[in-house]
Amino acid sequence: MAYNRYRYGPPALKSSVDVQLQSAFSDGNWSAVIRLAAKRFATFKDPYYEAIRVSTEAQLQGTAEKCAVLVHVDELVRSKKTPDINTLDLYEWACQDFIGYEIDFAETFGPLRARWVKANASSPMASSCLQGCLEQWDLVSAQQIAATLDKTYANTTDRRYMFWNITLTFLLSCTEASRKVYSLLTVRQLQKAADITENSEKLEKTDRGLLTEEEVCLYYRVLLSHGTKEEFLARLRSPKLGAISQLKQGHKLLFCECLDALETWGEWDTIYELCRDALKLGLDGSTTPFFVCDLRIWKRFIAAATEATNADAALDEVQEVLKQFIELKDKATPMYKKNISLALLETTFRLPSTTINPDHEDTAMSPKVVQIGLFLDQYYERFAAFDDVKGYVAELGYEEAKTFLEDVLPKIPGENPTKAQQIIIKALECRLRYTLTTCPQTLSPHPTVVEGTDQGKPFHCRVCSNLAKSPCEGCLRKLIIDAADAHRQITSDKELLAAIPRLDRDPRLDLALVMGNSLLKLSGLRPGLPNFGQSLWQDVQPGILLQAVLLLDTQLKVTPKDNGLRLLLVKLYLLFGCASYAHQLWAPLDVKRTIQDALSPLFFDRISSISPGLFQGTRPLMEPLRAYYTQSLRDPSPVRIWDAFSSGSYTSILDMAEYDKKLRTSCTLVMTLVEERRATRLFGGKLDADIDDHILATDIVEDTTLVHKTDYGSFPSLESANGPPIQEFIRLGPGPSNERSHLAFLAEQYLDLLTYTPPKDYKPSKAAEAAARDKAYALETLTRINTSLTDLLHKPSTPKLLTPAETNYYTALSLLSALVLTAISLPKSETSIPKIVSQTTQPLKTTLTTLRTGLLSPKSTVPATTQQAISSLCDMPSFASVRDVAFAVKLSAAFVLSHHEKETARDKSGKSGLHKEVVAEMKALESAAAKTLGEAKGHVGVLKGVMNESGWLDKLLDVVLGEEDREVGELTEKVSEIVEGRGGAEEWAGKVVDGWREGVKGWGMVKFE
Amino acid sequence: MANFRRFRPDDLNKLSKCNLDPLTETYELSFYLQYYAKWPSLFQVAEDENGNIIGYIMGKLESSPDVYKFSEHYLPWHAHITAVTVAPEARRLGIGKLLTEQLEAAGDAGNAWFVDLFVRKTNYKAIKFYESMGYSIFRVVKEYYGDHSTDPTQDSEDAYDMRKPLKRDVKKEHIRADGEKHEIDPTDVW
Repeated sequence: MAYNRYRYGPPALKSSVDVQLQSAFSDGNWSAVIRLAAKRFATFKDPYYEAIRVSTEAQLQGTAEKCAVLVHVDELVRSKKTPDINTLDLYEWACQDFIGYEIDFAETFGPLRARWVKANASSPMASSCLQGCLEQWDLVSAQQIAATLDKTYANTTDRRYMFWNITLTFLLSCTEASRKVYSLLTVRQLQKAADITENSEKLEKTDRGLLTEEEVCLYYRVLLSHGTKEEFLARLRSPKLGAISQLKQGHKLLFCECLDALETWGEWDTIYELCRDALKLGLDGSTTPFFVCDLRIWKRFIAAATEATNADAALDEVQEVLKQFIELKDKATPMYKKNISLALLETTFRLPSTTINPDHEDTAMSPKVVQIGLFLDQYYERFAAFDDVKGYVAELGYEEAKTFLEDVLPKIPGENPTKAQQIIIKALECRLRYTLTTCPQTLSPHPTVVEGTDQGKPFHCRVCSNLAKSPCEGCLRKLIIDAADAHRQITSDKELLAAIPRLDRDPRLDLALVMGNSLLKLSGLRPGLPNFGQSLWQDVQPGILLQAVLLLDTQLKVTPKDNGLRLLLVKLYLLFGCASYAHQLWAPLDVKRTIQDALSPLFFDRISSISPGLFQGTRPLMEPLRAYYTQSLRDPSPVRIWDAFSSGSYTSILDMAEYDKKLRTSCTLVMTLVEERRATRLFGGKLDADIDDHILATDIVEDTTLVHKTDYGSFPSLESANGPPIQEFIRLGPGPSNERSHLAFLAEQYLDLLTYTPPKDYKPSKAAEAAARDKAYALETLTRINTSLTDLLHKPSTPKLLTPAETNYYTALSLLSALVLTAISLPKSETSIPKIVSQTTQPLKTTLTTLRTGLLSPKSTVPATTQQAISSLCDMPSFASVRDVAFAVKLSAAFVLSHHEKETARDKSGKSGLHKEVVAEMKALESAAAKTLGEAKGHVGVLKGVMNESGWLDKLLDVVLGEEDREVGELTEKVSEIVEGRGGAEEWAGKVVDGWREGVKGWGMVKFE
Repeated sequence: MANFRRFRPDDLNKLSKCNLDPLTETYELSFYLQYYAKWPSLFQVAEDENGNIIGYIMGKLESSPDVYKFSEHYLPWHAHITAVTVAPEARRLGIGKLLTEQLEAAGDAGNAWFVDLFVRKTNYKAIKFYESMGYSIFRVVKEYYGDHSTDPTQDSEDAYDMRKPLKRDVKKEHIRADGEKHEIDPTDVW
């Protein structure tokens, strides 16, 4: 990244400089400044004027003038003398465009500033030098400056110097090769400080002990990273720096952080003691009563008790503490009241069955069931009631669950419930029944092979007593019917409709989600679809899936503010290729600025393969994302890091550094770069630069672990923890991953190499030498790309992280890079052609044939049925991979053949061209690719024709709701009722058809030649 | 269902429950990190059991620049609530109140005189909420907001500057009963 310290202007000149020169400088009148500075230097012999001249010359356009300052900086670095700070400022300003490119700050200005501070440690400018090094993230120089400052200001009231030094040494220990030295140094410095604190009766600001919460937490962070577990545990119990002691001072951070560490180590006894003591602080008045009354603390307390050495006694004590909090409950805010109720529920579920049911009575109405009932008595009307109890209900045994749903839940609103209360319970019941369909206890194994025939139903459903798959289709059908009836009941009852605005949550939304999710499952949708070479619709019943979408879309009109429902629909529309409509639904979510990194993959991941036409809008599609990263990663240092240093927020420094590192290596960032480039290539556009040279790709190298942080938190989650969450069902392939992002990045690097054209004015005088250099570069790049692609594809985890289409594409690139490498390195004189050529060309030809026959040929004729047409429209990502593979083959062949032609033209001796068999193979591949591309273009033409046919609305509605005047099944009838029949669904069908038409139109603009 | 703790930058990847709500503004990264860097104890979050952020408060400790020391509008050392939000699913549980109390406690720990905040004059629900927590109107900032939340024909809206005295203000010198009568210009707010 470019250096930006002087983004807002040059440094001020020394006050001793005369007014004439000062004003010329501040006016940016560079020629006057150069003239005057030279004159002053001749008169006063002060090198500062020479520095002004040199720095100002760097503002001119000429390369020689611009670069002269580099020589002066180099001289300063080599001289080992203490530089003048004002000269340094000027030189840094002059070099701002070179830093990070021609100049490495950490080898020039950083050490120069450190050298200056060493000689001028008490100057107020010293902190500014530290800031300068931090802005460049030159940790070595920054640490040296901090160490000097610490030494100079030891035992003063400004404690920051000591902790700057420690923090920077720690940061270095996490990055440098000499990690051991730095880590030892940090641990020792902090141990000494901790001992001073422990041994002082009252610590003064001038003492070099640990005083503030930030200082204490920094110590524990360092211990956790570089110290021993024993040391950590011992200090955690210490009288002054222990977690409980810190809590008494109102410092909760250490307590929260240490529990995470202890859990990783499985130190349950310590967790148990700490949670107990922390909670008791609230009871005995040492802290406010509910200071640590978080559900997470309770859950850890209970979990630790079950794991404790003496679990029985520990669990008794848990109950005793909980009892005391229950007595205080009336004084608590609703949040803590609820946490205490949930803690009681958690305790009931974690106690051994012998404790909660010592007499082994009939377990159906077990204490667990009773406790869920008691909890819901208080909270069933609240928004989060379902999420609060879902996990517990999923843990119930079958008989318990049955009793809960049949005997407990209906009685919760009391004897005379209002209509609204009844419907809330109904919606809750439907949601919980859905959750139970995803739980193994509702199914018992059943022999699936009867008389030698596989019945395909390996379970006996304990709920409906039918043979079933998982989930039970019979139960899902019943659920849809029940939810639809309840939904209908609401919409036909004015009293209920009037009551809805007063409720925490619209029950129609919950019922629609139950119906929608059930229909999705019934349609056959499951994680990992579609398979390559197959359309999604070969595994899924399109009518039922589209019913789910129609139903959920209808609900969105009623509850447009529900973001979970909206996100669900965005993913569903993307799944079946209706991207322009998905984009319309996505836009109101207003995903912008900071939340883009976590949320944008929900819409933009793989978008160029789904609908390249979206990139043809008036505003570049990915611009907000690109702008966010450009703004946030503008400087080499983490955003606002100096603020954290100057405020003494040491844990913030560590966290901000970590966050910055993750942001620079984010899968979403790679997605932003790749998707935009892929779209540009699809339309035959020109890319400004290679992906390697992109300013946002600076930190992405081969061994970088790319981080994905997609936020699925807002998705409605009816599933239990026994199966995958809903987003995995409706996502077009696996989510972002390190492997896929690297593969996508490598693919771009490969294509960059193939499509590189030198500038027009590049005419090397020694053509042979230039050609040899170009060839060496190409060979080196190809070797690197091929090795990386092969390594990634051979990782056992990779296949699960890619769609089959992606696996196919990256495998093709791996073969192509190996082929091109061999082709241009094989001497023409070689008598026998290496096996690698046939080992790569043959699979490539087979791949092209398979793609053509599997994905194009049958569809290049007009689809016979609407479902076949829909199948093609939905499967554009597979189609995109055909185009990608064929285009990569075409470019690879062109690269090799062009190399051959250039070599033949350059070297008239005839020795330098490529092996004739290689040339022949490449021509054959080129021709196969051209054929595939031609057919792919034809396929788009066919789809265009299909979409231009009339009657699409009716055709689509026939698939979804059945043909008019024909009898339909009960489910379709129920869905039809909710969406108000074909009339009600027409607008939706119009949007879907328009979405497909837009998609095909976009593909029509894609280049296939 | 909620856990209260100090914000950490990774929470920015779990904000969807709060920030997809149209009433919650999403800022640039530097804005969040500025608060985390300078006033980490005044940036608190409530998270659910899955780590999703369901509420947060951002605040700061500051005084007006020294150059205004002798102005009648000078603000002495105080805590300021910049943003407080609770996800729709977590409302009516007192999470906003708890977050605000935590910021007040941090203000007390930082020896602030009072906590203040700005709220739209028409945001009756929020005003009532703050009043229930002991805040009162200190002054009216005329046309503070560049739009109007309820009346599209207007291009500005007044703000109430509300305050609650902290422990340091033993004599309650930094609040007044007739705040609604004290109108100031937005340029007098620093």
